[in-house]
Amino acid sequence: MSPIITAIVVISALTGGLTILLLIAEFFFANYGEVTVDVNAGDKTLKVKGGANLLSTLASQKLFLPSGCGGRGSCGTCKCRVLDGGGPLLPTETPYLNDEERKTSVRLACQVKVKNDIKIQVPEELLSIKEFETVIEKITDFTHDIKGIRFRLPEGETIKFRAGQFANLFSKPYDEVREETSRAYSISSAPKDNRAIELIVRYVPNGMVTTYVFKHLKEGDKAKLIGPFGDFFLRDTDREIVCIAGGSGLAPIRSIILDMIDRGISNRKATFFFGAVTKKDLYYVEEFKEIEKNHPWFRFVPALSRDDSDHPHAKGLITDVVASNYSDLKNMEAYLCGSPGMIDACEKVLTSKGMPKAQIFYDKFS
Amino acid sequence: MKQTPELDLVQSKMQPGVLTLKGFLGSDDRKLADILVADQQSFSRLGITPLQAAERLQQLADLGADLMEEEILVEQRYRIKVRDDRGKIPSPWGDGLFEKGDVDLIDNSTGETLKWNRLTLRLMSVHGFCGGVDSEYRLDPEKLVRILDLKPEAQS
Repeated sequence: MSPIITAIVVISALTGGLTILLLIAEFFFANYGEVTVDVNAGDKTLKVKGGANLLSTLASQKLFLPSGCGGRGSCGTCKCRVLDGGGPLLPTETPYLNDEERKTSVRLACQVKVKNDIKIQVPEELLSIKEFETVIEKITDFTHDIKGIRFRLPEGETIKFRAGQFANLFSKPYDEVREETSRAYSISSAPKDNRAIELIVRYVPNGMVTTYVFKHLKEGDKAKLIGPFGDFFLRDTDREIVCIAGGSGLAPIRSIILDMIDRGISNRKATFFFGAVTKKDLYYVEEFKEIEKNHPWFRFVPALSRDDSDHPHAKGLITDVVASNYSDLKNMEAYLCGSPGMIDACEKVLTSKGMPKAQIFYDKFS
Repeated sequence: MKQTPELDLVQSKMQPGVLTLKGFLGSDDRKLADILVADQQSFSRLGITPLQAAERLQQLADLGADLMEEEILVEQRYRIKVRDDRGKIPSPWGDGLFEKGDVDLIDNSTGETLKWNRLTLRLMSVHGFCGGVDSEYRLDPEKLVRILDLKPEAQS
């Protein structure tokens, strides 16, 4: 046997032997046994098997942190404060944390391994987030690239949420997508309708979950949802309301308006400006017109930016239409939902008309 | 350039179905290090920098922004449409999240097209990654020079 082949055989044998030793060592020494996760200074105490990351450990106990990438360390959204027992901050976390967050022990839950007792702090509202194994009750084609989906909750289960919040919808593995993936979508149904959840989904070219929704999801299928999340909801004031949305951004505004009706809030005027390009991009028009007819406090203003056909709607960019409707917005508050570009443009218009930034609410899903 | 374990990890995140449906490489089966070197050489040969190209693309994107996805004609030559989607997309290098939303450009003089977004500009300007050879978001250096009329910095 030549010396080269002998060397290859020896090195391969040594490498193989070391690998086996490492596996044996991991089995005996990396068994962390049962550990305790203390959530919010004793609000919840979880007894769990150590060894997994904090995000999946919490999820196994039905405590769900928001996550856009399913724990792959690439979205930076599963943040929580780890007060004790989290080990050192990892290089994989630092790009997602600012100085303030690092100082206050904020960590990415998907990167923290639960190896010993650990104390964490999460926003109180996350404790009410639940996972639902739903059934698709109805899929509606609203426009060429927007669908509405109604998810029926399991028998006996209900959801409690504030109008304006969102839920994470999970796609199952399909085609080249080998893992379950989730994305956030605003809830369009009213909180009173608590046996189901309705979402509005706009197709994103090459989007992993929207492609699943548009090409694979059917009525009768099962689908996983986690929620509710988010701090976009109607503030408890007496101010007149300006709602502005485009595309699938209609979802939380619909939920808010339906909730106002259900709660009998009729002392606040509300105007909903809905921007679209052409008539074929409009949906829910009949429903909002009906609400307008039955509730004098509500006004619906659809606007088309590029439709030269004969139509009864406002013409022009939604920002211009809003601007032409008001001279002074100082005492009103605004609820915006749409793309980041639309929100930025609307914010400029609203502030130019005197609305303080503190009275402008939006959810960019950032 | 060596294909380091870090580049292996980055390349694994560029596969279809990991961070995006179609991935970042198209059918390009070269090592990421080789892709980076080849594009780096193209930029050097052309006398432009990835940052220079990215800044020009961003300038064009800004002209089409805030128009609610309306198409706009820029400089009497480029038709630009900025799509605005909710949500963010992570960088395979793990250095941030970038707002979704593609920019589509058509060069009226030739009919050639370019497609980019905030993430692909970042990947080109910071990491020198222009996309796999036939990937949908490929920002080929020669094509960029041709469409954008980029000149070597000393001459511009």
